[in-house]
Parts: sequence; C-alpha cells; structure tokens
Amino acid sequence: MAVAGTASQLTARSRRGVFGFGWNRLWLLVVPMTLFFIVFFVLPVLSMFALSLDKPAAGTVAAKGDFALTNFIRFFSQPLYYESIFRTVAISIASSVIAAVLGYPLAYLIAKTEHPGRNTFLMILVLASMQLDGVIRLYGLMVLLGDNGLINGSLIRWHVIGSPLPLMYNVFGVIVGDVQITLPFMVLSLIGVIRSIHPSLEEAARSLGASPGQTFRRVILPLSMPGILAGMLLVFALASSSYVVAALMGGWKVWVLPVHIFQQVSNGGHWQFGAAIATILFVVNISAIFVYQAVAARTSGGRI
Amino acid sequence: MAVVELVGLTKAYNGHVAVSEVNLKIASGEFFSLLGPSGCGKSTTLRMVAGFVAPDDGRIFIDGDDIVDRPPEKRDVGIVFQNYAIFPHMNVADNIAFGLRMRKVDKTEIKLRVGEALQQVGLAGYERRFQKELSGGEQQRVALARVLVTRPRILLLDEPLSALDKNLREEMKYWIKDLQKSLGITTIYVTHDQGEALTMSDRIGVMNKSRVVRVGTPTEIYERPGDLFVTTFIGESNLLDGTVRLSTADSIRLALGDGSEVSAPPRKGLIAGQRVKLVIRPENILLDGAPIDGLAGLPAVVEAKIYQGALIRYRLSAAGQSIVAEVQNQIGHTQYDPGSRITAHWHPERTEVLPVE
Ligand SMILES: Nc1ncnc2c1ncn2[C@@H]1O[C@H](COP(=O)(O)OP(=O)(O)OP(=O)(O)O)[C@@H](O)[C@H]1O
Ligand SMILES: [Mg+2]
Repeated sequence: MAVAGTASQLTARSRRGVFGFGWNRLWLLVVPMTLFFIVFFVLPVLSMFALSLDKPAAGTVAAKGDFALTNFIRFFSQPLYYESIFRTVAISIASSVIAAVLGYPLAYLIAKTEHPGRNTFLMILVLASMQLDGVIRLYGLMVLLGDNGLINGSLIRWHVIGSPLPLMYNVFGVIVGDVQITLPFMVLSLIGVIRSIHPSLEEAARSLGASPGQTFRRVILPLSMPGILAGMLLVFALASSSYVVAALMGGWKVWVLPVHIFQQVSNGGHWQFGAAIATILFVVNISAIFVYQAVAARTSGGRI
Repeated sequence: MAVVELVGLTKAYNGHVAVSEVNLKIASGEFFSLLGPSGCGKSTTLRMVAGFVAPDDGRIFIDGDDIVDRPPEKRDVGIVFQNYAIFPHMNVADNIAFGLRMRKVDKTEIKLRVGEALQQVGLAGYERRFQKELSGGEQQRVALARVLVTRPRILLLDEPLSALDKNLREEMKYWIKDLQKSLGITTIYVTHDQGEALTMSDRIGVMNKSRVVRVGTPTEIYERPGDLFVTTFIGESNLLDGTVRLSTADSIRLALGDGSEVSAPPRKGLIAGQRVKLVIRPENILLDGAPIDGLAGLPAVVEAKIYQGALIRYRLSAAGQSIVAEVQNQIGHTQYDPGSRITAHWHPERTEVLPVE
C-alpha cells in the first residue's frame, strides 16, 4: 500500500514539474505559518476580545464568559479615557505625516544615488539606526531634549531663554520619539517605490515643459503615493501602539491608549478593562487600514 | 520649421568618451537618422539635444539659438522614448494635455487640441484609457501625440520601434515617416537598425565609436559608403584584398591576390603599392559563362549555391579569395551548380576602393 502510494505520488510529482506541488497542493507550503499565526496571534486576540466582554474582576486573567459591556460603557462615559483615542490618533497621524515629510528627501536621495559605494553607505546609515534598540535611542533623545539636556542647557547657558523649554514629557516629546523610531521604516518603504519610477517619466515631463518643481508635483509625487501611504500606515500602526515611546518621552503625562492599557493591567490588575482598551486600540488600527485603502484607491488614478 | 546644428559636441563619462566632436547640420523638415552599433553614442547625442545630458564641449543651435545652457523645459524639443514613458497615473487625454497645461494653454483650447492630436494618431475614443490598457503600438502613438500636440521645434525619437513586434514595426515605420512628412517637422531618429534608417531617412549619419563617420542620403550611404566601417555595418559587402598599381584622376588599377588586375573608380590620396580593399556588394555581381565586354570580370569557381527563394546566393572563389554573389531568382536566369567555372562580373562604377587602416 505505502509503496504503491509513493510510486503514484512520484509520477504525479514528475508531471507537476520542479516544485513537486500542483496548484491544489501549494497551500501546504503555508501550513506552518498559518499554525504559528493561529496559535500566537488569533488565539491571544480572541481571548483578549472575550476578556474585554467579561465583568471586571481584579486579578482574574482568564475569560469567564459572563457577557457584559461594563468595560466599554465605563471607557466611553469618562473623558479621561475616551479622549485618549483622539490623542492617540492625532499623535500617530502627526508622526506619520512628519515621518513622510522628513523621510521623503532622504529616500529620494538614496533611490537616485547610483554610485554603489555611496548607496550602500546611505543604506547602512538607515538600517543601522533601526538595529539600535528603541529604548537606547529614546534615552539618547532624552539626553537631548530634557530640561537640562543638551538643547535647553545650551540655550540657558547662552542666555537665549531663562527657563527650559518644554521639549519632553508632553505631546511634542512623544511625537519626536515616534518619528525617530519609525523614520527608517518610512524611508525603506519609500525607497522601493521611488526606484520603481522610471527616470524617463521625469525626463518626459521636463521636455514637455515642466520645471523640476512641476515635475515633482505632477509626476514623481503622485507616483510615490503608494509608498508614502504604505509608510504612513506603518508609522501609524507603530506609533499608535507604542507604549515605550509614550512612557519614556511622555513621562506618564501623555495619556495615549497603550499607557492606559499598561496602567490598568500592570498597576491595577484590571485585565478586563485593559482588554477592552486594547480592543479599542485594535479597532482604531483596523480603521486606519480602511482609510489607507480608500485613499490609495483614490490616488492611484485608475491604476488598480 | 527648424534647422538644427551640432558643433563639436563632446561628452565623456568618467574619462570614457561617449560622444566626440560631433558636427551635424540638419535641414528644416528633414528626417535625419543617427545609425550605429550599440554603445556608439547615439542616445547620448540625442539626450544632449534634449537637454538631459550636458555636453563637455560643443554647441547646439536650433534656428540659430544656442540652447546648450537651457534646461529641457525651455528647449521646445519633443522626445519619444524607447519605453514611451506614458505617465501611468494619468489617462490618455491627460497625458496628451500635459505639455499644454505646462504651457498654460486655456482649457477649451486644450480640449480641442487633444482631440485633434488623438485624431491625428488614429486613437480617437481612447481619452479615458490608462497606460496599462494600451498595447505597445498604441502607447507609441500616445507618446507621439503627447509630443506633437505641443508643436515642438524639433522631434527626437530614440529607437521608438525596438519594443514592437516585427509586423507592427514595419507598419509603424511607414506611418511615422508619413506623419513626419505631413507635419514637416525636423526629426532626429536614433536607431541601430539599418533597414529603418534606409527606408525612413532623408539623410543618415552613421556613428561608430563615439564619432559620426559618414553623413549622406540612404543611396549615398549604401552605394558609396566611403568608409570600411560603414561598408560592413550597412548591408553586406565583399572586401577583396588588393594593391594599388596605378592611381590617376580617372581611375585606379588594382592587383588582386593572384595577379589579376581590375579597374575601379578613382579615389584621392591613394598611392601605388598601397594595400586596399575593393568593395563590391553581392547584388552587383553578375554571373556568366563567358567574359562580357565593358564589365570588370574575374574567372571564378562556384563553391556553393544557396537557394533562398527570391534570391540565389553563390559562394565563389576568384582571384584566390572568397566572394559572395546574390542573383534574383528570375525566369530565364541560368543557375550554376557547385564546381562550375564561370566569370564574375561587375560594373566598375559600382565598386569602391578603400584604404586599409
Ligand atoms: N549615464 C552614463 N554613465 C556612464 N556611461 C554612460 C552613460 N550613458 C551612456 N554611457 C556610455 O556611453 C556610451 C554611449 O552610450 P549611448 O547610450 O549613447 O549608446 P547608444 O549608441 O545609444 O547605444 P544603444 O544602441 O545600445 O542604445 C556607452 O559606452 C555607454 O556605456
Ligand atoms: Mg541608445
């Protein structure tokens, strides 16, 4: 039986070519990934949803299934909580816009650098900043932005200002931190797209009478939109869910959703309420994907 | 329309010379081709005229204006790229309107002219299509319409047919030529395809290794190449080794390998004893059983006969060298089998003597 099975499989395989899989068996390739995804993503997320629908019970971690909307009602009835949605979204949008504006010129420079050595050097610069741990990079920022950090210290010493500027432990500091952490992702997402714009498009625009600025606005920028939007979505997702940046750069003074979640779960053991806030954060991020899709469809100008 | 003049145009990339000392004068309304092998500097020359590449040296005049220092958008030069470069995020109408919008032409006129341009290239009704929805040939027409609608002073085309399949290429060749003629626009056409250059051009500039080596009408280039490179690059030629016996103002006497002598048209600068090549096109060789008066001739032996349908191709051995002859396969023409002893004839004025460098 087994031998016969192997033999028929072999002939079937030789008919199917190099990979040995027909289309109907190709899905076997994604089984490990799917299992991983189910165990380490779908199950935790589902249990989080379930937990968020339980009645609050301090210290209880497992979902009991006693369905109640208590946590959500509590969240949406107190400004302290629901206002943090807007704060989170505003900070994340600001970060993604700033990252796009700062990242685009660098990405353009790298994409247009043909000299292999110079190109590698610039790429290493971008990638190296990613390799350094986020917390370490944020401590670097704190040294720079703190009340007696480099900037405030120098300005006070030169008598430009009398008291330190509020550069940290506020929304500004969190945005700076978010941008700093996410900029490499933005740049990487842009480089690929800018490289894929054929140089002859730029030249065609120029010889049709467009100045360099017009060429950028009418040809390069619209064709970069897929990369800009993908990069912004990435930055949004990273910034909106980053507890570390909000905690270190916001110093527990900037109440975004991840800080609330951490406080509920770690400090109070309020797992159910924490899960409800996490669910809300999840919904915010999923909505961002829909917004991204809608904008992408509009800016693609019929290309999809 | 416009006269183009290139004077001493030179460009090197990191010490590697791409274009050197190119001097050309292209007449108003002329269809001028730059023909040459890959890497000879055709595109670089064209890109200098378009303004994408700054020459190291030399001047470019359009109707007497020196445009070398102008950016591409101030040159009023239309260019069609090999890949057509249709803007993928705009539909056909917006692509064609692009140049007019840059020139601040008013809306109603843009609409009118875009419509006319589409009509002209036979793409009426294609306004709302995007690049993805166009075939290669259609993209090319859009690219041409986009350029022509701005009424540029000159039109530059860089291998515009090379991305098309063979049949379409043939069709577009005549279509582009007709369009160019009807508009009377001065055109520089870059190609490495001699067939395109010969059929489309008023004049051809043959380039080799960064230089323009020969300029002339298709007939002149083909029948009087005047240069060994041009001879071998365009069409097929027999190059017979010979030595100059006598060079006068009226003719040249040559000794070929085995001592047989032939006459050839005169050429300046040749001296007795100089080693040269006698150039004869295969189709200019006439085969006959016996010598014919008034023609140059060499006794020859047929080595091979290759039947090609419309043509019959012979490989002959004559004067100790190998010669290729092509004869029209017409009724009444004698065919010779391998081993036949015949005479290979040609009109001396259809040959050329070129010095060996
Ligand atoms: N941007 C560039 N940087 C360096 N070298 C270049 C550049 N552009 C062209 N060259 C070199 O200059 C020479 C001429 O190039 P060009 O593109 O003008 O050739 P071409 O005649 O158009 O050839 P093809 O028929 O292959 O298109 C080539 O040797 C090429 O390698
Ligand atoms: Mg080229």
